[in-house]
Amino acid sequence: MAATPDDLRQSLHRVGYLADTDLSTAVWLAAELERPVLLEGDAGVGKTALAQALAKASNATLVRLQCFEGLDLSQAAYEWNYSRQLMSIRAHEASGGAIRTDDVFGRDFLLERPLLKAISQPGPCVLLIDEIDRADEAFEAFLLEVLAEYQITVPEIGTVKATTVPQVILTSNGTRELSDALRRRCLYHHLDYPTLAREIAIVKATLPDVDSQLVEDAVQFVQRLRGDDLAKTPGVAETLDWIKALHRMNVHILASDMAPLLATLGCLLKTSEDHFMVNADRMLQIMEGRRYEGVAVKNAAPEGAA
Amino acid sequence: MTTLTAKPASEGIAGFAALLRDHGMIVGPAEQTAMLFAIGALGGLKVGVVRSAWRAIACHSSRDWRQWDELFDRYWHPSRTRGQVKVSGQTRPKRDVRQAVQAMRDDMDAAASKPGSRAAKTAGDQPATQDAPVSDAPQAQGGASRAEALAQRDGQMWLPEELSQLRALAKQITNHLRPTPTRRWQALHNGRRLGLRQTLRRSVAFGGEPVNPVWLNRRVEAPKIFILVDVSRSMESHAAFFLRVARAFAQQSQARAFVFHTRIIEITNLLQRDSAAVQEKINAVTAGFGAGTRIATSLEAFTRQHARAQLSRSARVWVFSDGFDTDEPGALADALAELRQRGARISWFHPTHKAAISAALQGGKKYIDRFVPLANLADLQAARPLLR
Repeated sequence: MAATPDDLRQSLHRVGYLADTDLSTAVWLAAELERPVLLEGDAGVGKTALAQALAKASNATLVRLQCFEGLDLSQAAYEWNYSRQLMSIRAHEASGGAIRTDDVFGRDFLLERPLLKAISQPGPCVLLIDEIDRADEAFEAFLLEVLAEYQITVPEIGTVKATTVPQVILTSNGTRELSDALRRRCLYHHLDYPTLAREIAIVKATLPDVDSQLVEDAVQFVQRLRGDDLAKTPGVAETLDWIKALHRMNVHILASDMAPLLATLGCLLKTSEDHFMVNADRMLQIMEGRRYEGVAVKNAAPEGAA
Repeated sequence: MTTLTAKPASEGIAGFAALLRDHGMIVGPAEQTAMLFAIGALGGLKVGVVRSAWRAIACHSSRDWRQWDELFDRYWHPSRTRGQVKVSGQTRPKRDVRQAVQAMRDDMDAAASKPGSRAAKTAGDQPATQDAPVSDAPQAQGGASRAEALAQRDGQMWLPEELSQLRALAKQITNHLRPTPTRRWQALHNGRRLGLRQTLRRSVAFGGEPVNPVWLNRRVEAPKIFILVDVSRSMESHAAFFLRVARAFAQQSQARAFVFHTRIIEITNLLQRDSAAVQEKINAVTAGFGAGTRIATSLEAFTRQHARAQLSRSARVWVFSDGFDTDEPGALADALAELRQRGARISWFHPTHKAAISAALQGGKKYIDRFVPLANLADLQAARPLLR
């Protein structure tokens, strides 16, 4: 475990994740206080990537629980291995022996799902509870015990307590308001889109082979694009995909040829409305740093030329 | 290296926590203990690191996150924040309503006058025209002056039975709102459709016998109510009533409430607290707001920032305003169109029984599902069947 927030920031940097002081302090403090971190922010700003980088940086096992509507205890914490229990019962019946409760309700018959798996890890572990806002409120209530005590109660065998407290990262896209109880158990961090300089640094760290000029131009383009009213604003992940695609198509300067830019725009824009809005003209405007031309400007241009 | 002001740590933190609570943040003894622990663990009082650490501890939402820097500086570096209220190191600053109002007004004014933010100047009472010259001097708006509004506060006093009637009405209206059916199914005891997959899954526990069938019903989404209250000067005489209505819905139906004049802020936390003092504070706040109204800008901020991820077909957006806007003509229509595009149903509550005459509202009315006059409780009662 890192001794200071700065150590943690550097170790995250070594595995390719550029965290700022706020974020590294929050994550470091969460480990010190043995509290989960709740990360909120738009899709694609690096919430999930943080958990992956943290696991890599601290040589910990990453256990991921992807939340969805209808997620229940049997999918998140544990489930009895019914087939095995039946086999055990049959085996006892065949041997003529009496069956005791312990013969079918023990840890051997328990299927570990992510939460139980995380608290049963003998070594360091990062538990990523991804998109908690997609899960139902009932599941949120169940999580309270796990996140506060790092234990899971299985009625048949008792309470399973964590041998090593896992570092828990919860992520949320804000599609639903989380309960105050859950929020108060966590340290909170809001991840926003990175600044220009920061995003350039992230791309350069992730894609070191790409031309520096291309990276700077492309990131600037994406930053300006985020100012437009898009249905789905491109995140850092989309920027990386797009630059990777441009690099594979041997584009070295962004403004040299529009054809590859238009062909790869699908890496950035994810809805048909956004594709309709960002046509070749708009792309040129963005590259030149211009905002939308109003009707008055468009009408005035020919008169001025005349 | 900058350090925090030399105050006994626990005393300073208690005062700071009180300031945070005054701004709607949830900071109890657990958070204060964690803040003290953080100082010890970080081994010093470097402001940058402590600020980051405490931010992670004290903030619980993006709203808290956004106001953190300003509050931190105001308490720990009052000399840096010109024109702000300086808070002493008392564990619980004793402030009367007037001071609380002044503090909130300063917040709003400071935010409105930040570099780069376009401060609204006027709110034309009549439909604006392109040719009309725009004066830089602030112009008087409709509604009473600040002093008059405060003097009229007696008329805004509510009897307990009226308050309970309002709460009951809010509950009835919420129950009356139609939930939105979705494509998904959920397990329910009284479901009508057999969930074959889940039933088979459960039958494994009983040796393949489906003794515990799963019944499904179509999942419905409860309506999410967002209430946006205009507290600009032209609304001075109506805002107190509107905020009472907003409070009733915030408490009874978990509605999210916002106030706006030249910018928008969320006040849900403040409204959900069950305290007479808070209501008094909110009432008094509405009495003092000057400047114009930037409805379009506020709606845009609401759509793009505050409720971006929560706007869907089940969202009901109720705007309590007279519609006088100082933004560009047509901007309100664009903002409403964008909001509508997200699937939200928009109802516009007008403070008088007369038809809305503002030019901005005329331009944007095609995006509004329903106009509702709302001047008193009887109007709200009458509007009950209309709100679905």
